[in-house]
Amino acid sequence: MKRLIPLAAFGAVMTGAAAAFAERLTGPQREAGLGLPRDVSLDGYRIDSLLMSTAVLTTILFVIMIVWLVWALVVHRDGKHKAEYDTGDGKKHVTTAVMISSAVFLIVDGNLFLNAMVDMSEAFWNFPTSDETVKIEINAQQWAWRARYSGTDGEWNTADDVVTLNDVRVPEKTPVVLQLASVDVIHSFFLPNLRVKTDAMPGVINRLWFQAQETGQFEIACAQHCGVHHYKMRGVLTVLSDEDYADWLRRMSAEATRAYDPNDEDARWGWEWDREEAN
Amino acid sequence: MGEVLAYRSERMRQDVTSWIGMVVFLAAWAMTFAALFFVYGAMRVRSPMWPPSGIAMLPLGLPGLNTLVVLLSSAVLHRAVVRVREGRPIRLPAWVGATMGLGLLFLALQIVVWRSMAEQGLLPQTGGYGAVFWTLTLFHALHVVAGLGVLAWVLGQALRGEVTTAKHAALRHAAMFWHFVGTIWVLLFVLVYVA
Amino acid sequence: MSAQHIHPEPTTFLRKYWFSTDHKVIARQFLWLGCFFLAWGGMMAMLIRWQLANPGEPFPLIGQLLMPRSGGIVTPSAYTTLFTMHGLIMIFWGITPVLIGFFGNFCIPLMIGARDMAFPTLNMASFHTMFIASVILLGSFMVPMGSGAAGWTTYPPLSTQVGTPGWGQTIVVIAIFFAGVATIMGGINYVTTVIRLRAPGMGYFQMPLTVWGQWLTAILNVLFVPVLGAAALLLILDRTFGTEFYINGSMATENTGDPILFQHLFWIFGHPEVYILILPAWGIISDLLAFFSRKPAYWYKGTALGMTAVTILSAVVYGHHMFVTGMNPLLGKSFMLLTLIISVPAEVFFLNWLHTMWKGSIRWTVPMAFSVGVVFVFGLGGLTGLFLGTISTDLYLHDTYFVVGHFHLTMAAAAFLGSFAGIYFWFPKVYGRMMSEKIGKWHFWLSFITINAVFCGQLVVGWGGMQRRLYDPSVYTFLEHLGGVNKLISYAAFVLGISQLLFVYNFIASMIRGEKAGDNPWHVGTLEWSVPSPPKHYNFDPIPTVYHGPHEYSNPKVTGKDWVGQWEPPDVIGGPPAGEEKKGEAASGSTQAAE
Repeated sequence: MKRLIPLAAFGAVMTGAAAAFAERLTGPQREAGLGLPRDVSLDGYRIDSLLMSTAVLTTILFVIMIVWLVWALVVHRDGKHKAEYDTGDGKKHVTTAVMISSAVFLIVDGNLFLNAMVDMSEAFWNFPTSDETVKIEINAQQWAWRARYSGTDGEWNTADDVVTLNDVRVPEKTPVVLQLASVDVIHSFFLPNLRVKTDAMPGVINRLWFQAQETGQFEIACAQHCGVHHYKMRGVLTVLSDEDYADWLRRMSAEATRAYDPNDEDARWGWEWDREEAN
Repeated sequence: MGEVLAYRSERMRQDVTSWIGMVVFLAAWAMTFAALFFVYGAMRVRSPMWPPSGIAMLPLGLPGLNTLVVLLSSAVLHRAVVRVREGRPIRLPAWVGATMGLGLLFLALQIVVWRSMAEQGLLPQTGGYGAVFWTLTLFHALHVVAGLGVLAWVLGQALRGEVTTAKHAALRHAAMFWHFVGTIWVLLFVLVYVA
Repeated sequence: MSAQHIHPEPTTFLRKYWFSTDHKVIARQFLWLGCFFLAWGGMMAMLIRWQLANPGEPFPLIGQLLMPRSGGIVTPSAYTTLFTMHGLIMIFWGITPVLIGFFGNFCIPLMIGARDMAFPTLNMASFHTMFIASVILLGSFMVPMGSGAAGWTTYPPLSTQVGTPGWGQTIVVIAIFFAGVATIMGGINYVTTVIRLRAPGMGYFQMPLTVWGQWLTAILNVLFVPVLGAAALLLILDRTFGTEFYINGSMATENTGDPILFQHLFWIFGHPEVYILILPAWGIISDLLAFFSRKPAYWYKGTALGMTAVTILSAVVYGHHMFVTGMNPLLGKSFMLLTLIISVPAEVFFLNWLHTMWKGSIRWTVPMAFSVGVVFVFGLGGLTGLFLGTISTDLYLHDTYFVVGHFHLTMAAAAFLGSFAGIYFWFPKVYGRMMSEKIGKWHFWLSFITINAVFCGQLVVGWGGMQRRLYDPSVYTFLEHLGGVNKLISYAAFVLGISQLLFVYNFIASMIRGEKAGDNPWHVGTLEWSVPSPPKHYNFDPIPTVYHGPHEYSNPKVTGKDWVGQWEPPDVIGGPPAGEEKKGEAASGSTQAAE
């Protein structure tokens, strides 16, 4: 009985910790429950539901493991239980082991694999091709996000290109395509509330798309160590209604045209929009 | 229990052990070169033109000659090893010396190629192409130098009459290494110079 | 296989303790080196956790001493060095010397019935190369701009002069290069020794699973550390000679280097590396669970072959570290599929572990406690890997603390607990004395509880989206609510760190005045327990002949005791010879064996 005390203590600590975590994570800010940031995207629910289903399946497996371990430790112990000499390589045992492993694999891994394949081909790799998408070039640098819009004329590298710093504005319920690059080291563009993340690298143009379903302000985080101030590389994504977005773009384009200086080389960073199709 | 077991002396057992050790060592080295060839392949696949515009083509003449030098040196060394293993008479120092001489010739020709490429503007700092060309060839050449060092050791042994049919592990290992380095050269020649 | 000579014992101090070719001495050298760096790396973790719990406050007690220029506060720049070097040191200077340098060197020859390694001088050289690597590493802390700061993954361009200027990062990469050379030297030795020096009667499937783990690790080391060597060499060239392997201008199109190239090379090494770090622990646990359940290791062959399958597959799954780099979807799908497949052989031997304990007669010793701890943390950590091997969930979880929790559970916690299991188990054989069970149990429970608190906590904050390598999470509003959890993790980590002092005390006190151990205090049948504790310098005289497997426990055909040494004559097992009976079907409750 004495040796059960540490085990009970461990159980109590784990349960207490789990309860504490659960309470913190499902508090008022976490409307989504489960501890994930609020999802405002079109396709984020796919990831959330896959996270959920996998969490349930793995928790079941984990509980089975714990019950098994505790039972063995408590019931099959020295002095209370005589060991059975079983080398486990009889045909029956091998077949059972292979069957259990295959079953677990097919159910858990299979669920993951199939859902991921569907998610990737229907959503994340499925870039919108219409001309109505909003296109933004993001150039990452140590330690800020610069964004470039083609402006009201729709042409890149013209006087009315809108350039912002740490400030990305998009209309709601419209597909937004980003092309990502970097001027120095590798950064990673992460939108926690839209469940997307892609690296921004020098010399390569990466692509990312999303669609925000509600207005509001959300955060842009850098998710790849990029130097001393990596932790401060925060931007703001503002999702506006269609009219507000159009107003903003018009206003910013006009300002840009006014402030345009053809001799300022640095301001003309950017690239011709890469029109390569996704495979 | 009346089986007849083949007698293996302690020396023979140790020989097999050291041979296996040598094979494992060469496997590690092969992976290093494989990684470098991977780098070469990756750069090449990414590049629209090879060599990139503005960079001189690599010559084929001298490197081709070097390939013959390499093959000849391996043949010479292999002959020597076979002779020693079979107990046939051989002036071993001469053969080892010949192999080393061919190795030195290889290095000399390689230096000529390097100087010519440098004069044409291809330096290690010349972008990805320069980096990969110089590093691959330099790294290989360093291994030739190492091989020469090992052969010098064997030469010393041979001159002292310590290399016998029963006891020639160092010669055998030196030969394994030499053939390995030669094989890398052939790969290098085909993948980098010819292709 | 071979009658190795018995050399006379060395007499001078230097020959005995510094220039020794005796695998047992070299093993201890690696153990001390590894423990020193585990402490160093652990200290760095404490500083990291302090900053995350109490941002901007000076570290208590010794903060002023460690970071005089900032008044004891961890600065953002110091933070980048801390998490970089914590990772590098723990992996290359902590786990590798202990799990591979110590256990490999000590256990392999003794467990296969050999007098020493195949190449004893090479063995000595491998330790000295590691020592040189250590000196170089420590040197990197003394240069003006500090040590490495690009993350342990050292991605360019951040790790080139563009991102981390100065000599520190270069010196660190050189140190890693030397450590890699030492590892390859060791690997050559281990692979050849297992192939060539097994005692007569010990086929591959009579070897203890500990040796299997070490052998497979050594094979991976020999094949994949050279790839790291190449990657590191090219980085050194970029940093020092102005080459452009990994550097490209931001909009250059032709003849440029490629930062992604490093990621490929690094992870072709990196993924096998994580298996390198865990295979020894898997092997040790597979044996210890059997020893202390007094039952054969369940489906021994399945475990051996399962570990082999994981070894082979480890080379082709590396792309799952690069899912967010914008890789080609076909490549992504292939890597995802292979990554999920590699979980199957691991599931098989995990089940074998559970089955080994089931219906056993479990002795709750300290080594057993730690072994069960490994089963627990590895089971948990392995399950979290599923989320990361799947592309869509990985898109969200990549580079968050979920990854950190995952690899700490599977790699750090499992290796850590596995090392302790092995140390408590083999301490009697190494030093001839027993460690204190009581202190060991305290050490276990404190470590086990806090390890789970720390790393499960990290899973939680990562699930909430907190990125890795973050100096101050309060910058982001979506992370604000995680401050409390971070504090909890940190305090658990502090307790974890302090608990290790129990181990240090136990180790040293037991060395000096622990209870003397006999030849075989655990009543276990592998070959090292047939010789005195500690063994003579030549280990065996004569070389034993092996008649049994390593897991003959509670065989009903054995009278008088519940274990059989591998060296004992075949007729110890009464009844018809093993070949005439189906294995595994002999025991089913009713036996006549006296206990």
